[in-house]
Amino acid sequence: MTEMTRRERILRASYKERADKLPFFHNWRHLQTGWAERECRNRGMGISWARPSYVVKIHDVDITEQRLEVDGQTVYRRTYSTPLGSVYLDERREPGTGEWHGMRSWRDVTPWQTERLIKGPEDYPVVKYIVEHTEYVPDYFPIEQAKDWLGEEGIVMDIHPHQPMQTLMIDWIGSEGGRFFIHHAKYPDLVEDLCQAIAKSREPLYEIAAKSPADIIWCGDNIDGVLVNPRLFEKYFMPEYEKMAKVFHEHGKLLAVHMDGRVGVLKDLIARTPIDIIEALHPPPMGDLPIGEALSLWQDKVIWVGFPGSVYSLGPEATKKHALNLLREVVPGERLCIAMSTENIVSNENLLMLTSVLEKAELPLTQEKIDQIERSLA
Amino acid sequence: MSAEKYLESLRESIVNLDFGAVVKAAEEAMAEGLDPNLVINEGMVPGMAIVGEKFERGEYFLSELVVAAEVMKEGLKVVTPYLKGDSAQKLGKVVIATVEGDHHDLGKNIVSSLLRVQGFEVVDLGVDVPTERIIAAVREHQPAILGMSALLTLTMPKMGEVITTLKETSLRGKVKVILGGTPVTDEFAQSIGADHRAANALEGVKKCVEWVTSQERRN
Repeated sequence: MTEMTRRERILRASYKERADKLPFFHNWRHLQTGWAERECRNRGMGISWARPSYVVKIHDVDITEQRLEVDGQTVYRRTYSTPLGSVYLDERREPGTGEWHGMRSWRDVTPWQTERLIKGPEDYPVVKYIVEHTEYVPDYFPIEQAKDWLGEEGIVMDIHPHQPMQTLMIDWIGSEGGRFFIHHAKYPDLVEDLCQAIAKSREPLYEIAAKSPADIIWCGDNIDGVLVNPRLFEKYFMPEYEKMAKVFHEHGKLLAVHMDGRVGVLKDLIARTPIDIIEALHPPPMGDLPIGEALSLWQDKVIWVGFPGSVYSLGPEATKKHALNLLREVVPGERLCIAMSTENIVSNENLLMLTSVLEKAELPLTQEKIDQIERSLA
Repeated sequence: MSAEKYLESLRESIVNLDFGAVVKAAEEAMAEGLDPNLVINEGMVPGMAIVGEKFERGEYFLSELVVAAEVMKEGLKVVTPYLKGDSAQKLGKVVIATVEGDHHDLGKNIVSSLLRVQGFEVVDLGVDVPTERIIAAVREHQPAILGMSALLTLTMPKMGEVITTLKETSLRGKVKVILGGTPVTDEFAQSIGADHRAANALEGVKKCVEWVTSQERRN
């Protein structure tokens, strides 16, 4: 039998079909381009790339940006001026921000918002105006280009924005100091109203994403049961996933949602969603839901495991041990892919060690095959 | 209305996460001339304790814990001006910070609020705090406990850097070190020489109380 390509492996597993080997890949933005990355890719590691299928046009809103000194720090203030008033956000951009391979920490990856768009109740009508004047226009070139570049090396997913309530929680109001929860308790009508406006404005995106050249539509929702508690998840997230999945599934596309937090408290609710791929699920010690339990509970779903960064911090031997234990837990290894990391760059030593374990993981996995892998690495 | 009625209203307003009710109850209690220490210790603190119990039973989530602490803060704003001098009982001092490179503060803030509720004096250094600032704060404030938080695996090593510097500056033996944050594991905490890794905010606060009360007993 011809060996499957990395792309075929990932897609086979994602569509709940059997791949020849356990698919494993690195996310493009965490990938340390260089000798170790090339060696790992030569040994079977794929690439997962995410690009948007749309561009955003905001009408009748004046957007300006200026550089300021605030509390001795340089910030970039973006001001949105509307007929109803203005709102602004401040960002701190560390050296290297936006230069994906110059990473020292997250500060170099994305700018930190030191002031959020929504600060008080007076900001809600202004932000609602912006939302109602936002248009999403299809633009498939970035995905087509990435697919052309990657070929059989991996997959390209369509990036979808956060769910409306998550947009408020982690983007516009922010969870710092529990601010979102305090707003939700103090101004429930304003929060609900804006959430509904966002949901309405995003509806055209479902069709745009479903018709994109990507096989998988990825929502980077960062679900963590500590922040998104079961009440919030059931009321605000599940209905959105249902609406999205209905459109995506009609076009044969899969819905993946980034859930890299502690999701144990949400496990039964997640089982009831139409989400196809639970992306970046982190097993203990970082998460709180063992992979074996998740696979057994979510029979209709595929899990893309995020290999825990805290294990990497203990070095290659700990990485090997954790990887072997993980394989033992997921036998026979179906409905599963492994992401080398979903949060930061991996050292060359750890990347090579994890590849050494996973490159030999032929499916279906058995305890004997895993023993053999362990012996080969002794 | 009896004193107990006011205290009950305060407890209920915190448990019900009612911002308006806590201010009203606190204002009425002060207008009636109730002892502000009684209002805090018999009204608000037990309210937070009930919230904590509900959290532990899974009836309340972190969001409720955050909001309840905020509701209590609103009530305290009314009552604190009536406190004479430094009459509030202090359990001990805690310096707390999110380490350098990390801007996450939700867990840290919850812990700070709960520590204050328990009677600790909290010196909250904020987020993205460089090692040298944490060391300087330990030297200046001489806390019983240092709490550090990180939500990113990339920033976790900063916790180890702080502990190493505490050792190098002969401060380590004078302060207990507790760590918190999703990626922080027991194994990691042990490997860098911390005293404890908090599983969650409530458990961490309990450990802090246990440390200072056992210290007091020894004294």
